[in-house]
Amino acid sequence: MRADLFSLPIALALVLPFPVLVFAQGTDAGSEAGSTDESAEASQAPEPLNDIKLLAQAAALPSLKGEDKFILRESWWSGNIAPGKAKLIQVQLFRRNSYRFWLAAPNREAELNLNVYDSEGKLVPTESESFGGTNIVSITVQPELTGVYYVRLSLKTSLEQSQDWAVIYAYR
Amino acid sequence: MDMKYAFFSITALAFASGTVSAQEVPETLDLNNPDLVFVDDSVIPIPLEIFASLDKLGNQKWERYIISRPIDVDTNRSRTAMLFGLVVSEGFIAVQAKDKEAVKRVGRDVLRLSEPLGVSGSVEAHANSIINNASRSDWDAVRAELDSTRQTVINRMEQQRDTELVALVSLGGWLGGTEALAAVIKENYSEEGSDLLNQLDLVRQLNSDFNALPRRARRGEIFTRVGQTLDHLEALMQRDESGAISEGKVIEISLATSNLVEAIYES
Repeated sequence: MRADLFSLPIALALVLPFPVLVFAQGTDAGSEAGSTDESAEASQAPEPLNDIKLLAQAAALPSLKGEDKFILRESWWSGNIAPGKAKLIQVQLFRRNSYRFWLAAPNREAELNLNVYDSEGKLVPTESESFGGTNIVSITVQPELTGVYYVRLSLKTSLEQSQDWAVIYAYR
Repeated sequence: MDMKYAFFSITALAFASGTVSAQEVPETLDLNNPDLVFVDDSVIPIPLEIFASLDKLGNQKWERYIISRPIDVDTNRSRTAMLFGLVVSEGFIAVQAKDKEAVKRVGRDVLRLSEPLGVSGSVEAHANSIINNASRSDWDAVRAELDSTRQTVINRMEQQRDTELVALVSLGGWLGGTEALAAVIKENYSEEGSDLLNQLDLVRQLNSDFNALPRRARRGEIFTRVGQTLDHLEALMQRDESGAISEGKVIEISLATSNLVEAIYES
């Protein structure tokens, strides 16, 4: 993990209008966030910041401002993925809305793919955005129908090490 | 930040990058392939996501869908969890209606319900923020705080190993949002609007999650009724041949969800 990653939690806590967003909801089976053996008393303490989620949130910030801004959801996903492998996240999307997803991994050499498939498994057209590197990617999708979709994330084989990842999303 | 924005179809993206093999971004997926790896947990949409789409069809009279119901908290924590989800969804409706007093009431109810759920320590700041931001008519902040409250409660419950209650908070939130959505669409039916009730996979998942709960978490007559209503909704939330949810089905969805919400509050 690069050094610049560690400055993000403090910077974002100051910049984000809703700092509580960064409290983690680890949802992938491989995630460490959100699972703890702490006591009930300790569980009332704030949860630790998730650096990878913060990377995604930093990339998302410009989209969360302005007149036609996206509204960030609190829910997010995280886990670990091996090179050459893919994972699918099931989401319910609603017609007429636009949705934007951000996928981040800590290593700047990591090359990520992020795509959306419909309920029949067909690739859905999306707009993509890059952020000066390959370890953070974003796509926007405008579903033609209301229903279940699958967000597919994958890690290319340019790295040998598996990567922790986080996906956040917003709608408008 | 160096941002390079480009519009691509995924096909074009794969083509242009030159590094994306067909295996990495397939044109189709066989969703029944046992080798596919799905992330375990799914995210239940919040009512505001659905309302955002509905508002694009025209201005809605959200104030007509704010229903102030008295809350009687008892020792049944499963019911309290569902009530918590319902109250948060009521907050989302109140935000759409920009009704300060209704939002403030939701803030107070959220705090009250959080005590028997053992999460009041985490919710207090959120509740205060909801009330204060409503006073300032900062609706974006109230909206974010409501979603944040819901998520914080779910996180805390998971930490406290109250996982069955997590499912019930989500179910309550979805139920409250669906009650309002169906009422709005029923009031001014259009095939286009009815599409938003096409939530068959979602209701199946909620029903499956509900049935997977331990018996102790769905004790009592009200939870028998929850199960029956979810079964009924599975049959209703399906497009017909024209691609729409019929007006008759919308009326039935509205009635079924409204009756169940009433029953949860009154049980």
